[in-house]
Amino acid sequence: MWTRIKRALGIDTRQDKYTFAHDPVAGHVASARVAEKWIKTTCGYCSVGCGMLVGVKDGKAVTVRGNPAHPVNLGKLCPKGLSEHHILDAPGRAQQPLLRKNGVLQPVSWDEALEAMIENVGQIQMKYGRDALGVIGTGQLVTEEFYTLGKLVQLGFRTRNFDGNTTLCMASAVSGYKLSFGSDGPPGSYVDMETADVILLIGANIADNHPILCQRLERNRQRGSERSPATTVIVADPRVTKTAMMADIHLPVKPRSDIALLNGIAHVLIQENLIDRAYIHDHTTGFESFSQHVAEFTPRRVAAITGLAEETILRVARLYGNAKAAFIGWTMGVNHSTQGAVTVAAINNLALITGNIGRTGAAPFSITGQCNAMGTREAGFTSSLPGYRKFDSPADRAELAKIWNVDVTTIPTARGLAYPDIVEGAVSGKIKALWFIATNPAVSFPNYKVLEQALTSVDFLVVQDGFHPTPTSDFAHLVLPAAIWGEKEGTYTNSERRVSKANPLVAPPGEARTDFNIFLALAAKLGVSQELFPGWTSTHDAFREWQRVSAGRLCDYSQFTWQQIEDNGGMQWGGERLYADGVFPTGSGRAVLHSVPWLPFVEQPDDEYNLILNTGRTVEHWHTRTKTSQVEMLESMVPMAWLEMNPADAATMQLNPHDRVSIISRRSTVRNVELRITGIVAPGQVFMPFHFSETNSNLVTLGAFDPISREPNFKQCAVRVERFIKPLI
Amino acid sequence: MSLPLQDRAQDGSSDGLVRLTLAGLVDTPSAIPDATKKLIPERQLNPGEQYRFHFDMNKCIGCRSCEIACNEQNGNPTEIRWRRIGEIEGGTYPDTSRHYLSMGCNHCLDAECVKGCPVEAYTKDPVTGIVLHSADACIGCQYCVWNCPYSVPQFNVERGVVGKCDMCHGRLAEGLEPACVNACPEAAIEIEIVDMLEWRSDYALAESPGMPAAGHTISTTRITLPPRTSTKLERVDTGRIQLEHAHWSLVFMTTLIQAAAGSLCIALIFRAAEPTLLLALFVLTALALNISVFHLGRPAYAWRALKMWRRSWLSREVLFFAFFFSSLTLLTACSYAVVLPPSWLIRLHATAIEPFQNLSSTVLAIEALGVITAVLGICGIVASAFIYLVPARPSWNMLHTPVDFLLSAALIGTVVPSLIISKDHAAASGEIIFRLCLLAASLWIVNQSVRFIRLLRSGIFEHRASAALLNLPRQRSALIASFLLAAAVPLFDWGGGTAFACAAAFGAVLLARYLFFVSVVPLNMALTFTRGGAH
Repeated sequence: MWTRIKRALGIDTRQDKYTFAHDPVAGHVASARVAEKWIKTTCGYCSVGCGMLVGVKDGKAVTVRGNPAHPVNLGKLCPKGLSEHHILDAPGRAQQPLLRKNGVLQPVSWDEALEAMIENVGQIQMKYGRDALGVIGTGQLVTEEFYTLGKLVQLGFRTRNFDGNTTLCMASAVSGYKLSFGSDGPPGSYVDMETADVILLIGANIADNHPILCQRLERNRQRGSERSPATTVIVADPRVTKTAMMADIHLPVKPRSDIALLNGIAHVLIQENLIDRAYIHDHTTGFESFSQHVAEFTPRRVAAITGLAEETILRVARLYGNAKAAFIGWTMGVNHSTQGAVTVAAINNLALITGNIGRTGAAPFSITGQCNAMGTREAGFTSSLPGYRKFDSPADRAELAKIWNVDVTTIPTARGLAYPDIVEGAVSGKIKALWFIATNPAVSFPNYKVLEQALTSVDFLVVQDGFHPTPTSDFAHLVLPAAIWGEKEGTYTNSERRVSKANPLVAPPGEARTDFNIFLALAAKLGVSQELFPGWTSTHDAFREWQRVSAGRLCDYSQFTWQQIEDNGGMQWGGERLYADGVFPTGSGRAVLHSVPWLPFVEQPDDEYNLILNTGRTVEHWHTRTKTSQVEMLESMVPMAWLEMNPADAATMQLNPHDRVSIISRRSTVRNVELRITGIVAPGQVFMPFHFSETNSNLVTLGAFDPISREPNFKQCAVRVERFIKPLI
Repeated sequence: MSLPLQDRAQDGSSDGLVRLTLAGLVDTPSAIPDATKKLIPERQLNPGEQYRFHFDMNKCIGCRSCEIACNEQNGNPTEIRWRRIGEIEGGTYPDTSRHYLSMGCNHCLDAECVKGCPVEAYTKDPVTGIVLHSADACIGCQYCVWNCPYSVPQFNVERGVVGKCDMCHGRLAEGLEPACVNACPEAAIEIEIVDMLEWRSDYALAESPGMPAAGHTISTTRITLPPRTSTKLERVDTGRIQLEHAHWSLVFMTTLIQAAAGSLCIALIFRAAEPTLLLALFVLTALALNISVFHLGRPAYAWRALKMWRRSWLSREVLFFAFFFSSLTLLTACSYAVVLPPSWLIRLHATAIEPFQNLSSTVLAIEALGVITAVLGICGIVASAFIYLVPARPSWNMLHTPVDFLLSAALIGTVVPSLIISKDHAAASGEIIFRLCLLAASLWIVNQSVRFIRLLRSGIFEHRASAALLNLPRQRSALIASFLLAAAVPLFDWGGGTAFACAAAFGAVLLARYLFFVSVVPLNMALTFTRGGAH
């Protein structure tokens, strides 16, 4: 009472809360941010893989700083990283296991929860076969956990229908690398962005999505200013993104015309003899048919397809061809496509015919999404066996069976269903139980209505997540509360194959357990602990086995220990870049040039659905916002989605800025989105961020998938936009 | 302030000092950083120099790390941003340009926050030129919030005081760069030294699209603009202008005190300053002053507001109204005293009052006191109006503001005395007072109308935006109601419904004053499309 009076009168100004103190490490700072001890770790958001120092006090993470000694970020962090400690004690954290009883999720003990899972899944598998269980993992786990999960799913639960949310993200890059080089594995490093003299970014808005990489361009420019010719940054993107605005040349290509552009550049390179014939001769196959194929892609035709001027195509091709070292980076603009895998192959083609691979500054380079998407690709069990091994290779299977000391017949000979096919299977009744781990498909999966049908069709749905409720966990029969970044130990691999250490900072909230502990507990209940995880107690046990499994493979972890990883600010498997010797893991040792056809995207606009909807991200948020909506600063910066529309279209439709609109596709409608009228998007196109479950862009996106990678085509679908009219009730 | 960085720079031990703030925790990596450009000055400030921000728009990628770093550094709640990001955009697809602004305080040469502060909470640091604010001294009057053309000072409701960017003064003192400078991945923000005299003569580099003109306060922030200038870069947040705080305590305070002063003037003119009326005005004024105190974040320290009367209009307002109130108190007491019947406290009366009661000099003295009180009241109203004549709030900064304050005083002043004074008095001057009332009401409506039309047709964005706010459904209704009420005042007065006339007059002025506060659109830097989520 007295305090309230004092506050009302202004005698008490909460001075204690607003005092400053001297932190011996960080200097003068708000007292609440003074740390007792500092723990090195790696950021848990995107795949840039920034090194962090987290200040901890009284068992609470109080501050995050970029680690100045970490080679990835040199002390810098994006706004999500700088505020990452706030997610640990966020109110939305899942704290206890919940089991649906009489239609309501009710708190239960861990024992009851795990028992219920084993019993329900067991019954379903008994009745419908082992493959009736579908499991969707995640690039949010540490590699050690993902490896453990894969073993548990494939050899414990013995279902092949296991995939990761990485299929929504990087699967096309994986498939494209495999097509061209015979194996997954990004050939380059971030440092190449500093030394290349031409940087071509295709469908990559790094300023919003990987902001810490932008400093590489800046540093390149600083060096380039002393060099001739100066560095040229070229950005191909239908939208004038933040990154496009940083470019020397922006290529405002028509949506999904990238293959034509790449083939067109190859055409010019061959025509003008800007190719490396020796490299082609020594290290590739398929050049003859490739050059015949791209012969059709004359600048004139490519100009018609891409909407670029012929001179621009020639200029870009010549810049690329004449570069001493040329770098091509791409992200979701390429991957999120029904032609994603082959688009990646088309990118690789350019690098191969000019010999821009395996050298300083020269690489085709996928910039990955999640913090450990790469680790899940290496540890596999989804689209390949661990260590980039192949399901269909008897030698690979035999090798693994020997290391694991299991019967070789227990190892599947082919991959199971991919993510979209598992969802499809749930709808069609083939999949009867689903287990989602640290992913939120209710926001991230395309064509929401089908996903919803899948979630409501299965007999048993397990959602294991650090947060509850999420739009997905609302459907769950069982919610398993999991530890998140900052509460567990293991490694993340970033885009440049750098394995970095993630360390526990605090204990998980409530009864939440690490995913690793959950997997081990399930294995124990399944009775497979002894066989699969003999004597394992910590993720370090998983790491040691993973070292043996990956030894001698491209992604060889046997070369470094956890301690070395930590001391060196991460270790890159394969060194700074792959394929320096020009030898590729294709069998013949040669990379393959693919003749990639250009096809228009699936759902073209028509009279009824006259606009092309493009989806993407904003720097303040991470994926489906389960984490960033819990960080007040980030949430308040961008609290809602918006729809970008060109002024010309808005004028035709007589729409004004800030009008509320609905976006309607053949599948569904996103209602009540704020309109942003801007020249950032082209006439005929609209853009909206996908982070917001409240206005879920995936209600309208298209459920069309790449035939090779199974990645969805999030980036183009036909919609119309109408003024939103508030319903009366 | 001691500047250890400079000391260390001078003894040559400053290598790697600037970028690597996490001293001792990690070894300085040998290969990095390449860009070792120092982001804070290494040499001593010479006399006539100060620190300032430099912002390079070409480097900024709009990542907003600086904003987060600032709040983390200062422990501020989410809704307070000492550093803010803005977007500016222009051109036609695909030749579209979008750039970002990242701004803290501009540490102006002629900082209005410093000049306007009634309690000297602001100081311009004599060594560094940093505009510092003391939460201890601050009383939470928020006059600085109104005065700053960049909307830099922000009121912290939880604390009851204002706060603002201090260039991480405390970090600079330790030889460390400010949190925003430290956090920026692109090194787009740095601290540099500026020669104040030189800058005063040419501050063109402070100007930028999306920023209010630098000339008014002479912002010291240097902004490096993108080289391509053919595209006109414009704000993207203009469609999201919000109603400002209503400041209800000020709505009532200004109305009541104008009513009191106006009524006193009219009563004196018509020699109708009867004790009952004076008592009523005394109560009204006491009420107004008490209410005004609760506008402050720290009402307990209201008395401090008198401190800076030499330069702050807020101090002057407080001073004049304090004198007005004292004078009115005395006047009321005296007027009661002279009419006190002899039976009351006989002895006191006989000795202290009776000898003076019938002296003509006493009457004269009371009349003089009345005039003094009225003048003090008018001075208070004028001082009060000057508070709102700030360039940072364009729709306040018009002649209409003082005119409105005086006319509001007149409008209410012409009807309140009739309600209270004796019938004889009222009858004697009824006709003239009615005419005055009619005149006041007409002028009041004209003034309000002309103001609204000028706002509507203005070339200044903030004016038009104010007009747009007045045109919102509820605000438009309030505006129309205030006009109707004002028009009704003389009608009621004429019809003998003095009480109704009073109610209408108060209603009109209160409504108009409410609109005055909520419809102001302050000058500000360009913010983002979502305005940082401020809805």
